[in-house]
Parts: sequence; C-alpha cells; structure tokens
Amino acid sequence: MAVLVQLLITGLAVGMVYALIALGFVVIWKSSSVANLALGQLVLISSWFTYGMLAQIGLPLWLGFPLVILFALALGWLMERVALRPLIAQPILSLITVTLGVAYFIEGIVTFIWPKSVAALPRLFPVEPFHIGAAVVSQEYLWVAIISLIVFGLLTLFYRYHKMGIAMRATADDQLAVQACGIPVTRIFSSSWMVACVVAAVGGVLISSIGGITFGLVETGLKAFSVVILGGLDSFIGAIVAGPIIGLCETLGGGYLTPFLWPGVKDIIPFIIIIIVVLIKPYGLFGEVRIERI
Amino acid sequence: MTLPCGTRSYRYAEDMAIIRTKTQWALLIFLLVVLFTMPLYVRSNYWLGIANLIGITLIAATGLNILIGYCGQLSIGHAGFIAVGAYTSAILTNRLELPFLVGLICAGITAGLIGLVFGIPSVRVKGFYLAITTIAAQFIIIWVINHWGITGGFIGISAPYPAIGGFVFKSEASQFYLIITITVICIFVAKNLARSRIGRAFIAVRDNDLAAEVMGVNLFRYKLLAFFIGCFLAGIAGSLLAHWIGFINTEHFSLAESILYIGMIIIGGLGTTVGPIFGVVFVRLLQQLLTVGVVPFLEGTFTSLPAGFATGVTPMLFGLVIVLFLVLEPRGLAHRWALFKSAYRLWPFSY
Repeated sequence: MAVLVQLLITGLAVGMVYALIALGFVVIWKSSSVANLALGQLVLISSWFTYGMLAQIGLPLWLGFPLVILFALALGWLMERVALRPLIAQPILSLITVTLGVAYFIEGIVTFIWPKSVAALPRLFPVEPFHIGAAVVSQEYLWVAIISLIVFGLLTLFYRYHKMGIAMRATADDQLAVQACGIPVTRIFSSSWMVACVVAAVGGVLISSIGGITFGLVETGLKAFSVVILGGLDSFIGAIVAGPIIGLCETLGGGYLTPFLWPGVKDIIPFIIIIIVVLIKPYGLFGEVRIERI
Repeated sequence: MTLPCGTRSYRYAEDMAIIRTKTQWALLIFLLVVLFTMPLYVRSNYWLGIANLIGITLIAATGLNILIGYCGQLSIGHAGFIAVGAYTSAILTNRLELPFLVGLICAGITAGLIGLVFGIPSVRVKGFYLAITTIAAQFIIIWVINHWGITGGFIGISAPYPAIGGFVFKSEASQFYLIITITVICIFVAKNLARSRIGRAFIAVRDNDLAAEVMGVNLFRYKLLAFFIGCFLAGIAGSLLAHWIGFINTEHFSLAESILYIGMIIIGGLGTTVGPIFGVVFVRLLQQLLTVGVVPFLEGTFTSLPAGFATGVTPMLFGLVIVLFLVLEPRGLAHRWALFKSAYRLWPFSY
C-alpha cells in the first residue's frame, strides 16, 4: 500500500513535468503545424544552461532563473528565424528533418560546452520528505507538480486573454484569414517558438532538479511525445490529462512489471503507449480529427 | 531532355532503357572497372575500410530512400532496423553456426518483418505520427536487444568473418569485393524497382496517398511493401556491418545514427537513385575528415580547446549541414549533379 501511494504520487508529479514539456510541443503545433522533434534537446540545453548559471557561475536563483528564461526566449527566436522561417509551406518531411538537424546541432553544442555527461543542479526545493500514511514522498515531487500546474494556468490565461495569445489561437484556426486581418503570421510563429522554448526550459529545470542532468533528458523529451500523441497533438487539455496518465503508467509499470520482465521496462512504456495509441486512436483523446480531402 | 541530340528510339525497349548511348555504356563500364579494381591500387587497409563502410551504409540508405524518397513514409528508426539485421545475422552465425549466406538472407527477412510490424500504423497515419512511431520502434528494438539474453545484452555479440563455400573473407580487400558486389546489386535493383509498377505506385502514394487510393493503388499493400523493402535492405546492411566490424553492440545503432541516415538521403537528394550515393559518400567522408583530419589538427594547433571539442564538433557540424541543405538546396546534391550534367552537355553554349 505504501509503495502504491508512493508510486502514485511520483507518477503524477513526473507526469505533470511531461505534460509541461508536451505543452511546448503543442504550442508550436497549434500555431504552425510544425512537429518539433528537438524537444528533448531543448530540455537538455536549458537544463545545462541552468547548471552553468547556478552552479558554475554561482548566480543566486532570483537572477539565474530569469536568465534561463531569457536564454530560452532567445533560443526559440533563433531556431524559428534561422531554421524554420525559410521552410514555411515546405512538405512535412523537410519540417521534421530540419528540427532533427537542429536537435543534432544542439546536442553537439552541449557536448562542446559541457563535456561531462552527468551533473546535479543545486537544490531548488527543500528536501525533507513528508509522510502520507506509511508512504514517504520526497517534497520535491510536490513542488514540481505545483509549479507545473502554475505554468499551465499561466499559459491558459495567456491564450485566453492576452492579445498575442488570442492571435496565436486565431493563427492556428486559419492562417489565411488571420493574415487578411493584418496579423503578422511570421511573428506569431516566432513568438510561439519562444513560448514553447520557455515552457520546455521550465520543464527541463524541474525534471533535472529531481533526476540530475544527463543525456537521458533527451529521452525524457521524447517521452513527452507519448503525452502529445495520447492527448492529441493540438490540445492543451489533452497534454495536461495525458501527462499524469503517462507518468502513472511509467511508474506503476516500472514498479510492478519489472519483476516479470527485464529491468528498465519503465523507460520503454511510453514508447509502447505511442504505438498502441497510434494503432487504435491515432488522433488521441482530445485531438481534432482531421478529415482529408484530395 | 537529358539525352544528347540525335538519340532516337525505334522500339519501346530502347526508349525504356536506362543506358542509351555508347558514351554512357563506356562510362558505366569504366566506373565498374575502377570500382572493382580498387583494392589493386588502393593499398591501405584504412581507405578500403572506409570504402567498405560507405558500401554498407549505401545499402541501408538505398532502403531508406525507397521508404522515404519514393514512398514518402517517414522513418526515423532506420538504425533500429539495421540493428535487427545485424543481430539476427550475428546470432545465426555465432550461436547456431549457420553459414553466412543464410545469416545474410535471414537478416534481411527478419528486419523486413519487424519493419512490417512497425509499419502497420502507416496505413492509418502519416507524417509526424509515423515519425514518432518509428522513433518508438527504434527505442523498443534497442531495449529488447539490450535485455534479451541471446543478443549478448549491453556487452554485445561477436560475428565471425563472412564465408561463402569454403572461402573466408578475412582481409579488407576480400570483404570489399563481397560488400561492393552486394551494394551494386542493391542499387541496380532499387533503380529498376523505381521504374516498375511498384515504384510508380510508391510515387503515387508519396505525392498524394488519397488520390492514389482513388486511382486503385492498394495503400495497405504498397505502404507495407515499402516498409518491407526498406527494412529488408537495412537488414542486409546490418548483417554486412556485423560481419565487417566483427563485434557489435547497441552503441552502433543509436538514434543519432538514424538521424544521420535521414541526413544522408536529404543531402544526396530524395527520390533519386544517385542521391543516396552522393549523400553517403559525402557524409562518411566528412566524418572521416573530421575525426581523423580536422579535429586532431585543431587540437594540436590550439591547445586551449574545451574538452568536449572532439566529441561535440561532429554532431554540431552534421546538424548544421542538414539544416543548411534543407534551407539552401532541398533537392540535394543529385539536383546539382543533374544541373552540372546538362550544363556540361551544352557547353560552351548556355542554351
């Protein structure tokens, strides 16, 4: 029982972070229909940047974290401007491959600047565990879940009330009509990339504050794709619902299936979910079903 | 169009032929002679090794080109399918001590069947969904290989030298003949496949799968066929790779390698037969140039380089090359080659 509670809480918290990273994907997909496969690498580089600011230079948190946000904004702007802007209206293959190229490039930069493969972020949250019944749960997980929810709330408000957010939703709906209304679509694309990078960066910092910074973060970013697929590519609600589901499947499966299967089954569960979802319900739980016409 | 003036066709067979003029025949024979006599004038095992690697990569890239370039089905898990072939062949020849040829064929078929399994979603979805499915396939395959006892797990498995009949291909030069023969056969088959009914069905599916279905192309059949052929070639390449390296583990088949394969066919030019050749030669030579030439040189010259320079510069540069090619020359080196050929044919007149 204690184990179950512990697994449940861990799974929910990790799932919230997955959901957050997945939001970074959904933001871009909604406004520009570009599949950003460099998500994991964005998580990786922003975690390392945080490490560089907080641990290597030794900045305090109140100064370091805004710098990370600024860095993510710059990164998002740069990626859109250099790699994606010239490829507007190109076939989806080019768009996917260009993000893969960017991913490769970022991985190179990371090994270039931070050659060691493992590092730990300084403690961001208090570490004393708290007790629920007989279960002992690290406090970090709770904080991570709360911050994820706050970011999700902010994002929802931004999309609901801010002018730019409304413009982004409009662009997602109909690019041509939006352009006719005088909204600069390219600027919308660029700001959606910036928002996405910030969201991915926050997710990255949260998850690496728990698990440390390794190249496994790339895989974490890839696992966020299972959230996106399960929730539906263009749905915020989908990401927020599917995130904890994936997190729970992962921790529960890892906790209870490992004795029967090989170790490490935890890491593979999200990928198996991807295949199952694509086979059964390809547009996910909340995704918009596109009807194709010739 | 792409033929010199005065080339006339009197029969349909002539019109369909790939090689039309005497010059083309001469050039082809010249190329084959140069290729097959390579071990006679390239004495160094190092360069022959690179040629072998290029040959093996070319088989896999040709498979991927059929899948992506002709049929339009995105696969980012190609290294996973190569791994299936490599391990099948290694297990069959090492653990069961079957002959090499059996291993080679079985490697292709197993990889093709695994490709079929992971290709089934392609019937319902495409684009990004398929990309993610194949990434998932890559991770699942590598995970299974790492944990299944018969594959040697994380440590890896050794594969004996390839042998046909009583002859053992021990030296780089003899392996070169083996690999280059299979490569030439594969490219020949791929070229002809693209011109056949199947190839035209693939192209129709790529350009618009709904329209193709309306025209009577069986999507289920042709999409899965593309997956089978693409992964079959990946399996053949994997088998050759295993026997050429001699000892494999999953480090050889990372996701980065899959991305590099896509990079190769993009750089070369999608949907052309010469494309993969250009792309593979370009990427593999650039890799060698970087790891053997440029990086040690720079490290020797500038002693204050950061420690991650050697490992970081290669992915960085390849990422950059992929992005630049997509932005500046999306049709790849094959397009440049076609431009060069037509310019050469008309030279010195530009019209």
